Amino acid sequence: MNTFKDNCYRLSGWLSGLFIVAITLLLLAQIIGRLFGFIVPSAEDFAGFCLAASTFLGLAYTFREGGHIRVTLVIQRLKHGKRRAQEGVVLSLGLALSGFVAYSCCYMVFESYIYDETSYGYIPVPLWIPQLTVAIGAIALTLAVFDAWLSVIRGDSPNYMKHEDSLSLEE
Amino acid sequence: MDMTLISIILAAVMLILLAFGVWVSFTLIIVGALGLLLSENFQIGLLFSTSSWGASTSWSLTALPLFIWMGEILFRTRLSEDLFKGLSPWLSGVPGKLFHVNILSCGIFAAVSGSSAATAATIGRMTLPELRKQGYSERMAVGTLAGSGTLGLLIPPSIILIVYGVAAEVSIARLFIAGALPGLLLVSLFMGYTMIWGLLHKDELPQTKPEHISWNTRFRALKQLLPVMSLIGFVLGSIYGGITTPTEAAAIGVTGAIVIAAVTGSLSLNSFIDSLMGAVKSSCMIIFILIGAHFLTLSMGFLGIPKELAAWIGSMDLSPMMLIFYLTILFVVLGCFLDGISVVVLTVAVVLPMVDTAGIDLLWFGIFIVLVVEMSQITPPVGFNLFVIQSLTGKSILYVARAALPFFLLIALAIALVTLFPEIVTYLPTTMSKS
Repeated sequence: MNTFKDNCYRLSGWLSGLFIVAITLLLLAQIIGRLFGFIVPSAEDFAGFCLAASTFLGLAYTFREGGHIRVTLVIQRLKHGKRRAQEGVVLSLGLALSGFVAYSCCYMVFESYIYDETSYGYIPVPLWIPQLTVAIGAIALTLAVFDAWLSVIRGDSPNYMKHEDSLSLEE
Repeated sequence: MDMTLISIILAAVMLILLAFGVWVSFTLIIVGALGLLLSENFQIGLLFSTSSWGASTSWSLTALPLFIWMGEILFRTRLSEDLFKGLSPWLSGVPGKLFHVNILSCGIFAAVSGSSAATAATIGRMTLPELRKQGYSERMAVGTLAGSGTLGLLIPPSIILIVYGVAAEVSIARLFIAGALPGLLLVSLFMGYTMIWGLLHKDELPQTKPEHISWNTRFRALKQLLPVMSLIGFVLGSIYGGITTPTEAAAIGVTGAIVIAAVTGSLSLNSFIDSLMGAVKSSCMIIFILIGAHFLTLSMGFLGIPKELAAWIGSMDLSPMMLIFYLTILFVVLGCFLDGISVVVLTVAVVLPMVDTAGIDLLWFGIFIVLVVEMSQITPPVGFNLFVIQSLTGKSILYVARAALPFFLLIALAIALVTLFPEIVTYLPTTMSKS
């Protein structure tokens, strides 16, 4: 079970990384194209789609790795029991918020789909396709927050806390 | 509901959430949603999804993950060692000697890594033991490290400038170029101070005779630095010359960094994946904060808070100088417990219309705010960089803060200079070729 979950988080990170690589390749193609006189159509649109995909697909991985920053100045002084209660409250709030984010993103995909919205560039792309990555990423974030919430309920400390201490050195 | 009351509620909720350990990005979205609720606008979901889709597909923002990735790749090469070896022979004749290596390596390393804390930690881990072994004043070693670690925020390609540029809708290319002279100014202030200090405190420097280092040795040492220096030079040069957009320059930067890593033998499948995952973590975090900030800005716009604030400031008849002065204090306070990027996005959501109304150039303001954030990183005794160096050296925070104090004051001097002579910031961008 645990390894399956770990693999899911890793997949979130890798997919996100893959889209960063895609942006790099796209831009290199554009630069080379300019030198040799061909144009990569709608490169700006596609780079933007990749950026959105990379950002949202990586949210779950970043969350688990303690990558999202927060102010720990106050909470790190709390005693063990109080700290757990605080994390529980924060995660419940986070769960509600990420659920809301996921719902809005899914609704956006649904609307783009039924209204046949497309991008305005040289190559018109039905917007629901790139927006789907955003919705999937937002759902994955909700699951990641839920996962952390469960472990606090069970009395463990959530995974991101284990990373936060070592991260404080790197900003 | 009364506007003042709404503003106070929103500010209070934001502070409570932040202090309670809610993630910065989440806090921004929650406060944005609350603002819409209070203004009785119930289209929250729709507004959120359209604003975040717009924010996360922004073309100029695509430079951000690429520059972060470039830094992550170079971070995993032998760059920090090479900097030390390549620079030392050149600086042995200057009063203060190896302290300048500390400053310059931090400056260059910071330019590629973009993180002041990572710079201080990486360079410090290598130079501090070496300086101690050779008998340099430890306090000055710690001070130069703390001060120049902050250079990374300003020296392009600076991540924080990309964030400001996207949030404030100022050209990133122009911001980068505008940051070059103030960055050089800071480095020269740091080095000048160190030279004067070196002349006054000869007893706290190692008592070796200046050895004569041949030019041959010097140039051979420099050769180690050549690849990285030319990469940075190329990236900045092509932006300045208008040959490429910052995003394209970033893609070239990534390619160049991979080539450098491959040639120096530090590229493996593992280090490649590590660097990419490091980039994912930083860029996801930053872009999600930007998405939150975008939504908050939108919500603030509905409420009209920034406009009211601007009108209020306008009615007080503050001179721009006084406004800048008050803002500096506000940012330094914020910077004590928030990281630089969060300070910038919060500011842009609320303060920018006010700054614009006061007739302050937004390009100049971007550089100004980065300098202030830099200063707040080493504000005694709470700056973020101080804690990094404290954990690195094992000294008390007060010792570190005292060592860093001169450099804190030097950054303050730089801010004063940039305010009195705004041309330091605005001159270079006017000479850029238009692309």
